[in-house]
This record gives sequence, C-alpha cells and structure tokens, in this order.
Amino acid sequence: MRRLGAGIVSLAAFLVAWKLVTVIGGYPEYILPAPEVVAERALRAIGSGVLWEHTAVTLLEIILGFAVGAGAAILTGIALGKSVLIERVLSPYIVAAQAVPILALAPLLDIWFGGGLLARVVICALIVFFPIAIATMVGIRAADPLLAEMLRSLGADAAQRTRLLEVPSALPVIFGGLRVGVTLAVIGAVVAEWAGASSGLGVLINIANQGLFDTPLMFVALATLAIIGLAFYGLVVMVERRLVVQ
Amino acid sequence: MSSIPDNPGGLPVVVDAVGVRFGAPGDGVEALAECSLSVASGSFTVVIGPNGCGKSTLLRLVAGLLAPTRGSVTVGGEPPRPGDGRVGLAFQQPRLVPWRSTLANVALPLELAGVGPPERRERARLALERVGLAGAATLRPRELSGGMAQRAALARALIGNPPVLLLDEPFSALDALTRETFNAELQGLWLERRRTVILVTHSVPEAIGLADRVVVMTPRPGKVARIVEVGLPRPRPADLMGDPRAAELTAEVREALTDAHALELRPWAQVDGEGAA
Repeated sequence: MRRLGAGIVSLAAFLVAWKLVTVIGGYPEYILPAPEVVAERALRAIGSGVLWEHTAVTLLEIILGFAVGAGAAILTGIALGKSVLIERVLSPYIVAAQAVPILALAPLLDIWFGGGLLARVVICALIVFFPIAIATMVGIRAADPLLAEMLRSLGADAAQRTRLLEVPSALPVIFGGLRVGVTLAVIGAVVAEWAGASSGLGVLINIANQGLFDTPLMFVALATLAIIGLAFYGLVVMVERRLVVQ
Repeated sequence: MSSIPDNPGGLPVVVDAVGVRFGAPGDGVEALAECSLSVASGSFTVVIGPNGCGKSTLLRLVAGLLAPTRGSVTVGGEPPRPGDGRVGLAFQQPRLVPWRSTLANVALPLELAGVGPPERRERARLALERVGLAGAATLRPRELSGGMAQRAALARALIGNPPVLLLDEPFSALDALTRETFNAELQGLWLERRRTVILVTHSVPEAIGLADRVVVMTPRPGKVARIVEVGLPRPRPADLMGDPRAAELTAEVREALTDAHALELRPWAQVDGEGAA
C-alpha cells in the first residue's frame, strides 16, 4: 500500500509539473500539449479502437522478441560461462553485433527476414540478447568452486553441476540482465516497426508525428510504450522475487 | 549404481607409492611423494601433520577427486570414482548449497544417485535425526550455526551409508567444547557401525582420542613419517588428560611431528593446548 501511495504521489507531481510547464511556457499544442489534452486524446483513441489495434501488435512483438532473445541469451551465456574456448570463438561476433547500431541494421534484417512479424521479432530479440547473455556468463562463472568440488565428490557430471549449482547461483545476476533486457525489448519493437511495418505503436508515433501532425496522439503512443515497459519490468521483478531465494 | 550391501562394515584403503604434482612438469609443486599407507577395513585412522603436508590431497585421492601422478590408490581393491557410493567425504567447510533446505542438502547424494523424492526425503530425515538435527530440516544453511551446518554436512556424507568416511578437519572451525561433543558423537557413530574412517586434523589430543592409528606426515612433499598405534580401550572419554598411556602417546605423536618439521609445530601446538583444556 505504501509503495502504491508513493507511486500515486510521484505521478501526480509529474502531471502538475508538466501542466505548469505548458502554462508558463505557453507552448502551442503541436510542440507540447497539456496533460488533459493528451488524456482526452487517449480516451478518443481508446474509444475508436485505434490505440488497442497498434498496442496489440507491439505487445506481441515485445513478448515474442523478449522470449526468443532471452532464451537464446541464457543458453549462449551458459555455454560462454562454461567454456573458455566457446567464449574466445563467439564473443568477438557477439560484441561486434552489439556495437553495430541496431537502427542501421534493422532495415537490412527486415529485408532478410521477409518484413513481417518474424523480422520484427528477430530485431527485438537481437537487442535483448547482449545484456542477458553477458550477465548469464558472468553469473555462471561466479559459482562457488568449493560447492562445485562438493558436487564433483558426489559424482555430479558437468550438466548436473550446471543445473544444481551454476544456474541457480547465477539467477540474481541473470535477472539483472533480464531487467535491462525487457526494457530494451520495448525499444527493439519500435525500432523494428520503424524499419518497415504497417501497424504497431512505433508506426502510430510516425503517423501522428509526420502524417497527421497530431502531437497529442504521439504522446498517447509514447505513454503507452512507457506503461508497457513499466509493466514488463514489474513482471520480471515479480518472477525474480519468487525464484531467487534471498 | 554399485552393489553395496546394507551393512557392509568398511572397505580397506590402500595408497601405494603415490606421487602428486600440481602445475607444469619440472616447475610445479610436489604435494605428495612416495606416499604409502594401508588402512584396514573398519579401522579409525587419523592423519596429522603440518600445513601443506598434503593431508587434504591424500583425502582427495581416496575420494577419487584427484588422480595420482604416480602410484595407485584403491578403495576395496578398485580405484575410487566419485559417486560410486563407496566413499563419503566431509570438508573443512560445511559446503551446503545456500538455496536448498537442510533436508534437501542432506538428500543431495541420493538425488544424484537417482533415488526418488519420497525415499530420499525419508532417508534424509533419518540422517538428520542421527546427527541431532531433526528440527532443522526446513531451515536454510544461513539459518544454521557453524556447528549445526557441520552436522548437516556430516549427515550428507553419511546418508549413502558409505563403507569409507573421509573427514577433512570438519570440526576445525568450531569452538573447543562443541568440538569435544562432536568427537564423542563421531566415536559413537563409528562404534555403532565400523566403517573405515580417515580423519585429518591438526589436533594431537583429538587424534589420540579418536584413532586406532595416528599417521604423522612430513611437510611438502608429503609422505608418512611415522605411524603411532593407539591401543586405548573404547569408548574413550572426551578428556584423556589424566590417562598416563594417553600422555605417552601424545608425547610420541608430538615428537614425531617435531621430527617431521620442528618449526611448523609451534603455532598449532598452542592451539591444541587450548583445545584440550
């Protein structure tokens, strides 16, 4: 209850500050609309079904992209953590792929993967991959060598040591990577949509901004993305609380 | 798995002309050299020696965690293999998995041996009872005191009912009184069922109190310097200070240690004095 209260107070303060800036600055609506204008626009977008239509597309991209990216990243991270050879062979490519701006890569990936949902999931997964893979690798390596020796003395093979020791002990670090990754998944979905899509919140931002000059609608789309990011982040934290034994 | 009968007693352990070298050839550390030791089935052997004499290395060899560079190690006539059920090992630190309950920690060897959940829970409960930890089954390791954690580690080493029990200074971090209680209980457990026990320690009184034979080792590269037979009747009291035969044996082991490495004796000779007080 206390946390909820603090959240409401902070949201109210944010809205008041926003309103004050618009009043004091006297900006026209197409530069900075007032909060009540955005709220009214949001109600209309919800009522007409436009907002949900685009949100559903983006949500699907985020969920699939995060699931694929995080799954691949955890498996790769385990392999990187367990084998120095694999790390030496793979890490230059992983780091190089991360260093190339995803914005530049996205249009190419869009062509390669057929421009549909698959392409957008791949782009989203790619941006999610790096922080989770690295966190997993670091976590796996930090497993207690004394516990590893204890397990060896009981006849545990490498796979059993991974399951019983390395992965559980790496979980707090892996969840650190997942927290970063899930927010990147939101960015990834929008970037993927900008590379070539006909619907989604990224598309809605473009339509509102460049097509309709409807800045309040753009703010509605941005606020929706922010809420999605917060919700998924909260979900990851909830799962973390259940899985990670303090 | 292995075909160990329910109550096999013990198995003989033979270490034959073993050499162990860590690191690069010609540049590494020689932990053991020409080390030979024959431990009779069902006997209680205490290995004592200065730091770095390869006592822990010796236990790792018998547990099958380490292969000798030269020579051979056998348990019941065969080289040991981790997980074969013939050897139970308790380390200097409890080494409990922090996110598992005490019960699940104790059941771990059975889990790895493929025993089903109901049976391993039941056996882990019995193992905990045997070491006086019946009430701690659901606690996490961080909720246990140092002594309780070591009891749990002992229960884990004993749960597979191994014919050979290896103890690597398992009580060295405990206070003197807890340690005495533990040694009495350990003697009781062994009298109940005569497994082959090899215990590594720094403490001379502990060695005399528990052992059939005390094996004194030289520092690096380690080998057996002298074997002292302890013919004292059992069960032995926690405090053997008044026993003239025990005093003789203590003097003999101390002398052997001094001969093995005079300088290394002093630091823990004092610790032992406190422990026996």
